[in-house]
Amino acid sequence: MNISRTKIYLTMLFGYLLFANNAYAMHISEGILPFNWAALWFAVAIPFVAYGLWKLKILSRTDLSFKPLVGLMAAIVFIISCMPVPVPTAGTCSHPGGTAIPAILVGPAISILVTAVALLIQALFLAHGGLSTWGADIVSMGIMGAFTGFAVFKLLRKFNASLMISAFFAGLLSDWAIYITTSVELAAGIRGDAPFMPLFTKILIAFVPTQLPLGIVEGVMTAGMVKLLFKRRADLLVKFGVIKAEEAGI
Amino acid sequence: MKIFSEHFQKEHLLSRIDARIKLIVVLSLLVMVLSYKGILFPLLIAAGCFILCLKMDIPTQILFLRMAQPLFFAMVIFLLKFFFTGQDVMFSVSLPSSHFSLLTLTGYRDGLIEGVRIVSRIISGVSLVLVLGFATPFIEFMAALSWLRIPKPFIEIMMFAYRYLFMFLEDATTIYSAQKNRLGYAGIRKGLNSFGVLTGSLVLRGFEQSQKTADAMIQRGYTGNMPMLRNQPFKAAELAIALIVVLIGGAVWMI
Repeated sequence: MNISRTKIYLTMLFGYLLFANNAYAMHISEGILPFNWAALWFAVAIPFVAYGLWKLKILSRTDLSFKPLVGLMAAIVFIISCMPVPVPTAGTCSHPGGTAIPAILVGPAISILVTAVALLIQALFLAHGGLSTWGADIVSMGIMGAFTGFAVFKLLRKFNASLMISAFFAGLLSDWAIYITTSVELAAGIRGDAPFMPLFTKILIAFVPTQLPLGIVEGVMTAGMVKLLFKRRADLLVKFGVIKAEEAGI
Repeated sequence: MKIFSEHFQKEHLLSRIDARIKLIVVLSLLVMVLSYKGILFPLLIAAGCFILCLKMDIPTQILFLRMAQPLFFAMVIFLLKFFFTGQDVMFSVSLPSSHFSLLTLTGYRDGLIEGVRIVSRIISGVSLVLVLGFATPFIEFMAALSWLRIPKPFIEIMMFAYRYLFMFLEDATTIYSAQKNRLGYAGIRKGLNSFGVLTGSLVLRGFEQSQKTADAMIQRGYTGNMPMLRNQPFKAAELAIALIVVLIGGAVWMI
């Protein structure tokens, strides 16, 4: 191939990446993972979704409004994870994962379910994510995002960190956990015969400009959400065990 | 809000076919695409799907919009495969020039082939799901999932989510416009704060709406389980067509 022509093509390709209007880095698109990897991530995700369903069954037995609440949370996660958020360092838009919010409010098990529902609707009716990559997306966004967000929030609260600080770090680390897991899934799925680590590092670096600042955006967003709930409906935070009644002044 | 695939559905042959059959055919073809080692089969499937979408009068703009995210991903993966994985060197370019080099990019022939293969798989897989989304109403899809023995509580949550999505989308748009008109997004700090308030407002609205919804449903006899659309018996002609499509796909896949 002519070298100067190669340079032009390369410039065009990188230009497309740099100036693309939207950078969607959380959902793995349909078809990216080969069959064996897609099946493996499904196998990992299914027990967690089953655990979420079991938890839902128990909680909705005594509270008939719980199922509608979980459905509405799924709708909210759907909207949050579709919202274009400007990422100043990359000059693009990306979208938050939104899983830390339900994880803090209703716990990680239900949060996995909420994410699985939101992901399936996005895959089917927006081509955002995919059917074959649904398992992998549940593992990264649902399982890793929810458990990281929940664990960080609980841990910081145990060490008497304020509600806002705990929520900020829950959102931040949950987002980064999703990003790292997605990179692992991508590298494992597309590497072929190439070694895993170099490709994983390159994928991590490729998404650094969007994902690092996006984590901060997600942290601020989660903290803002908790702050608003505390101001207006502290009773809800007490009801879901996020704070104690005395902290809410009830 | 006309963003969902089912808004573009019109009366055509595909929309009249049983959702279960469409789902089975799409899943079978998807498995074939994912396990195929070349690029011919995925590209044929993609071409077929695009023709079907055009036959269904899906606006081209919507098709491109749906493909934007997967194509972005495909492009990143193609570049990673082409420049960073492989053994057989195709070319090496020093940037910005061969005299003063900041970065040397090496293209690999095997990386290129593998990259093209993944890209063809992505385009094909997305096209299949697009056809399914454009040709199947949500409620029929739920009935098909129920037939596939997906747990009922999962489908119920999906139905609740879908029912309230549009309401929340409208709320989010209204709040966002109000914030924007009041310079809520002038500056990064203000924008982040506004975004937090927007999310919090949606969550609050979700809590309040869930209680109202539950009350309204209990008054109408809700006991914790929602009725599902009853599946009709399969039509022999539809089954035969589905079988032919899968068999043809299988034959091409094996070549």
